[in-house]
Amino acid sequence: MGRLAEMLYWPVQNIVVWGFFTIYLSRDNHLKPSLASFLLGAAILWGMFYAFQRDLAAGFLEELWSRNLINLFSTPLSVSEYLAGLVAVNLMKAAAGLLAAALAAWLFYAWNIFPKFGALLPFVLNLGLFALAIGIVITGLIVRYTTRIQALAWSFAGLLMPFSCVFYPLSSLPAPLRPIALLLPTTHSFEGMRQALGGGGVSGIDFARGFALNVIYFAFAIFFFHLMFQSARVRGLLVKPE
Amino acid sequence: MLVEITHLTKTFGNFKAVDDVSFGVGEGEIVGILGPSGAGKSTTIHMILGLISPTAGEVRIFGMPFEGNRERILEKVSFSAPYVAFPGRLTVFENLMVFARLYNVPSSKIEELLSLFFIRDLRNTRVARLSSGENTRVGLCKAFMNDPKLLLVDEPTAYLDPQIASQVKQVFLGLQQRCGTAILYTSHNMAEVETMCDRVIFLNRGRVIANGSPIEITQRILNENRDEPALEEVFLRVAREQSN
Repeated sequence: MGRLAEMLYWPVQNIVVWGFFTIYLSRDNHLKPSLASFLLGAAILWGMFYAFQRDLAAGFLEELWSRNLINLFSTPLSVSEYLAGLVAVNLMKAAAGLLAAALAAWLFYAWNIFPKFGALLPFVLNLGLFALAIGIVITGLIVRYTTRIQALAWSFAGLLMPFSCVFYPLSSLPAPLRPIALLLPTTHSFEGMRQALGGGGVSGIDFARGFALNVIYFAFAIFFFHLMFQSARVRGLLVKPE
Repeated sequence: MLVEITHLTKTFGNFKAVDDVSFGVGEGEIVGILGPSGAGKSTTIHMILGLISPTAGEVRIFGMPFEGNRERILEKVSFSAPYVAFPGRLTVFENLMVFARLYNVPSSKIEELLSLFFIRDLRNTRVARLSSGENTRVGLCKAFMNDPKLLLVDEPTAYLDPQIASQVKQVFLGLQQRCGTAILYTSHNMAEVETMCDRVIFLNRGRVIANGSPIEITQRILNENRDEPALEEVFLRVAREQSN
C-alpha cells in the first residue's frame, strides 16, 4: 500500500501544483489556452521522465541498502537479466505514474491529454528511452562508487532540466546553450510535444533526432554499466558496497 | 574434484587479501576454512562465487572454469552468510519466491524449507521484523532452494541459539548424506568445525598454512602429538603469532 501511494502521490501532487499555477496565469486572460496546455503536458511528461530514471537507480539502491546484492548475484541471474527486471518493474511504475498524472489533470483541471496521446506517443517513447539510458548510467556509477554518490539518483535529472526546454521553446534559450540542448533527446521530445499539443501534428524530425541520440546514449549506457560492474567485481564492491 | 582452486590471488591496492591459495573440494566433502579475521576466508568464498574477480589464479567448479560458465555453475551452487539480508519490505515468503523463480523451483519447495528450518510461522512476516537468527534461517532456506551440489556457508550459525544451531548442523549433514553435497564452511566456532568438517584449510594473512583433517591440523600447527583435535588452541596460536 505504501509503495502504491508513493508511486502515485508525487505525479498527482505535481499536477495539482502546476494546475493551480496555470489557473493563476489564466486569470484575466494573461495566458493563452495553448500555453496552459503546454505547461500541464510538460509537467506530466517531465514527471514521468524524472520518476523513471530516478526509480531505476533507487531500485538498485534498495538492493544495496538491504544487503541483498550478494544473494542475487550468487544465483545464475545475469547482469543483463537483472537490468531487464529492474527496467520492467520501473516501466510499469512510470506508466502508472503517467496515468495518475493524466487523470489528475483531467479530473481537477478538465485538461484531457488522452485525445492527443497518439501524437505524443513518439515523444513519450523517446523520453522513456533517455530516462532508461540515464538510469542505467547512474546505476552503473552507484555500482562502482557505491552509496557515496547515491544522491545522483534524485538530482541528476535536475541538471538536465534547464537545457531540456521542458517549459519553454528552444528558441528562448541563450544561443550558446542551444548546441548543448540539441544533444539531449529531452529537448527534441518537448519541442515535439509542444507542436503536437498546439495542433501541429507529429514532428517527424524531432522524433528522429531524439531517437537517433537515444540509440547512441542507450548503447553507451549498456557498455558503461558492464564496465562499472566489472570494475566493482575487481574492487570487491559487490560484497562491501558501503 | 568438485571445486579446484589453483594459485588464487587477490590484491586490493597494495594489500594482498588472498595469496596463491590452492585447494580442492571433493564431492560430498565438508571442508572448513579457518583463520583469524582478515585471513582471506570470505574473499576466497566470494571469488569462488564470482562476486570478486581474482587478480590471478583460477576457480574451476564441476570441472568447468568459472569464467565463461557462471550461469551453468551457479545453478547448482548456493551461498549463505549472516551479513547478507533480504529487502525488509517483503515478507519471508515473497523474498523466497524471488529465489524460487530464479532457480525455477515450485513454491511448494518454500513451504518445505520453512518447515525444515522451523520458521513456518514467519511465512507472512516482513523480513524487517525478523531477529538476526530468524534472518539467518531465511538465508539458509534460500541456500537450500536449488538442492545445491556445492554449498558455501560463511558463519552459518553465528546468530543462532545452540538448539537451532544444532538442528541446522543436522540439516547440513543430512543434505551431504542424501545428495552428496559438498560444503565449504567458515566459522569461528572451532568445536563446530571439529565435529562437522572432514577437512580444514587454515588460512593466515591470505595464505594456506595448513590443509588436512582437524587432528592433522592440530598436530602440525601445535607441533605436538594429540589424540583429539584442538582447533581452538590452533586458532589462538595463529592469532597470537599474527599479532606479534
